[in-house]
Amino acid sequence: MDFVSRLQNVDRRIIYILLILVTAVPMISPLNLPLSISPGTTEFFNIVDALEPGDTVLFSLDYAPSGAPDVHPIAAAVMEHLMDKGVNVVSVSFWDAGPMFGEQLMRHYEELGYEYGVHFANLGFVPGQETAIKRFGENVGTVSRDFRGNPVSSLPIMEGIKDTRDFALVIDFVAGNPGIQEWVRQVQGSLGITLLAGSSTVNVPQTMPFVDSGQVKAMLAGLRGAAEYELVMGKPGASVAKMDAQSLGHIVIILFIVVGNIAFFLDKKR
Amino acid sequence: MSLIPNTATLLVTILTMAAIALVGINRSKSGAWTPTIRRLAGLDAIEEAVGRATEMGSPVHYSPGIGAATDDSAPQTFAGLEVLGYVTQLTAKYNTEIIVTIRQPNVFPLAQEIVRQGYMTAGRPDMFQEDTVQFLSNEQFAYAAGVMGIMNRRHVAANIMMGAFWAESLLFAEAGAQVGAIQVAGTAAMGQIPFFVAACDYTLIGEELYAAGAYLSQDRVKLGSIAAQDIVKGIAMVLIFVGSLLATAEIDFLANLLKK
Amino acid sequence: MRREVPLIITFVVGVIVLFANMFEGPLQAWSSELTGWLIIVSAFAVGLASVNLFRIHGTALMRMRPGWFNSLALIVALIVFAVIGTMARLGGDEKINNLNQNLYDSIIGPLGAAMFAMLAFYVASAAYRAFRMRSAEATVMLIAAILTMIGKAPIGELIWNKFPVIAEWLIDIPNTAGQRAIMIGAAIGAFATSLRILLGLERGHLGGAE
Repeated sequence: MDFVSRLQNVDRRIIYILLILVTAVPMISPLNLPLSISPGTTEFFNIVDALEPGDTVLFSLDYAPSGAPDVHPIAAAVMEHLMDKGVNVVSVSFWDAGPMFGEQLMRHYEELGYEYGVHFANLGFVPGQETAIKRFGENVGTVSRDFRGNPVSSLPIMEGIKDTRDFALVIDFVAGNPGIQEWVRQVQGSLGITLLAGSSTVNVPQTMPFVDSGQVKAMLAGLRGAAEYELVMGKPGASVAKMDAQSLGHIVIILFIVVGNIAFFLDKKR
Repeated sequence: MSLIPNTATLLVTILTMAAIALVGINRSKSGAWTPTIRRLAGLDAIEEAVGRATEMGSPVHYSPGIGAATDDSAPQTFAGLEVLGYVTQLTAKYNTEIIVTIRQPNVFPLAQEIVRQGYMTAGRPDMFQEDTVQFLSNEQFAYAAGVMGIMNRRHVAANIMMGAFWAESLLFAEAGAQVGAIQVAGTAAMGQIPFFVAACDYTLIGEELYAAGAYLSQDRVKLGSIAAQDIVKGIAMVLIFVGSLLATAEIDFLANLLKK
Repeated sequence: MRREVPLIITFVVGVIVLFANMFEGPLQAWSSELTGWLIIVSAFAVGLASVNLFRIHGTALMRMRPGWFNSLALIVALIVFAVIGTMARLGGDEKINNLNQNLYDSIIGPLGAAMFAMLAFYVASAAYRAFRMRSAEATVMLIAAILTMIGKAPIGELIWNKFPVIAEWLIDIPNTAGQRAIMIGAAIGAFATSLRILLGLERGHLGGAE
């Protein structure tokens, strides 16, 4: 096999090894590349920042361990902002693995002295996918016990909350379906709630039409969205460091695409 | 029985779409109208893929997606199962093994029945084996790992994926490419279409998947329904255009009407 | 009759569930009841599917087929997860609950995340293989992909501060237009398919010839 053919058919293992190297190195030693803030992130931040202490926000945690590295950092960054502001958080999930992430978010603040049931509560998993979102959206009382087994009516945070319009905001942290499409279709359209999204990167293209139409007021997109949010909050964290790895990963992919195309042209010329 | 507030538009839309579809079906059935579907290269390629698997003596892998038969991805799943019937008959004709992998338990008995019946119709009931249709796992990535393992171990020569897919789409398509399989995919899951387009040989995009059953069977009833779909799409386009004009002129009459 | 009964059930159940979304009254109660039945039927389907798993992998194990150890691992995992999960669900003590949680956190969680992480590698190899300037359309797709990738990574704005703006425009305008077109077309297609199933015109899922 000559040089041009080799360039056209680089062994995929070489691509994989290079990708591992360029993503692992900045994780160990961050490069601190500058990160600009996209308008969507600023808009998301402003909506959340305008909330008053004592308001209650609903988190719909619709992701699983697989999508968590991309979505959970967004939920963690927004949770930090809300706790700082004294805004309460109620979480619910239409994915069976979702409540575990609710627990992860809340346990951290319980250790810091926040109180479960007062500052936050985890309503757990509601089976039934799109139908469940519709029912829950119209009547929060369809969930009678929270994830920890407490009667929902006994939680002070749930006082006065009948349907999702009683939340100041609904934020869907989402890595697929059911998720933002179902929230828009079944609840936002009919009840007119203020809906925000924290979407996995792969889901951004399909969430974007709803953002443009105004049905989703603002969106944080994947790990980068989390990193930008941390920066806007003035609390850069783990997500910012991970962006360096993503940058270099993108560069490697682009380089391989360019190499493949140069070889393709050389081959065509022969 | 009273109408739930804000559902009038929904009801009118459903009834209108149903009426148009029924008229289309009836006209096509009576022969008053003969709709044709444009060439769908992806579906034409299925026979070529099965033929190639036959030449190589390797099996065909088929996945009807990871959506259930009972949620909003069900139409995609049913469209995938429709194509499965066709692929089964092709494999029976060419005497080639097919491996059908399933993620959703409620799709499993349907797929089993389709393949079993397909072989019986083709006069080859002996081809149906216990592991022809395999339930792997209802955990998304456990299913993905299982499929990738089967593709690698069995060196499948054709990989056909029709239905609702999520993040595992590229895992399947790349695993298929690595074993050199000819790959035909079809999905209406918008986030996954780019992955299939990039990594597969042929891809059915969005509504093309729903037209597969009609295209393969050339059944007049189905063809009528597909053609009626285009009329509905035309109405949607007119509504979008008029809506855009009205919105530009800051007239919210149509938007308010559709919210009712 | 073998065909007619499922078709009648599909029609009756479909109509009830569909119109329960629009009419108040008994339809909603019936729809709710049917959803309950659905969960029970689905549970039986899980049982049926598990039996299939046991039969295929049990046979592989007994006949010591190549890769039999994978079948053994699967059967052991299936039994362990089912037993521990059921015990925890039926109100097991704290030890069982912790064990159940740990099985999830330490096995399913990392395995799922590992599989998802593989996507990064597969995206790289798929992009390298597929993004060749073979035609005008492929060239447009390639350029759009590169601009989006570079514009979405922090390093892009270091190179040229307009890259993020271009990437944002690509996602906001052409992507949204395309996505909307596919979304509307697919939704109408899904409706027509559902209608055909409801009316028994599309019956390929019942098996056999039309």
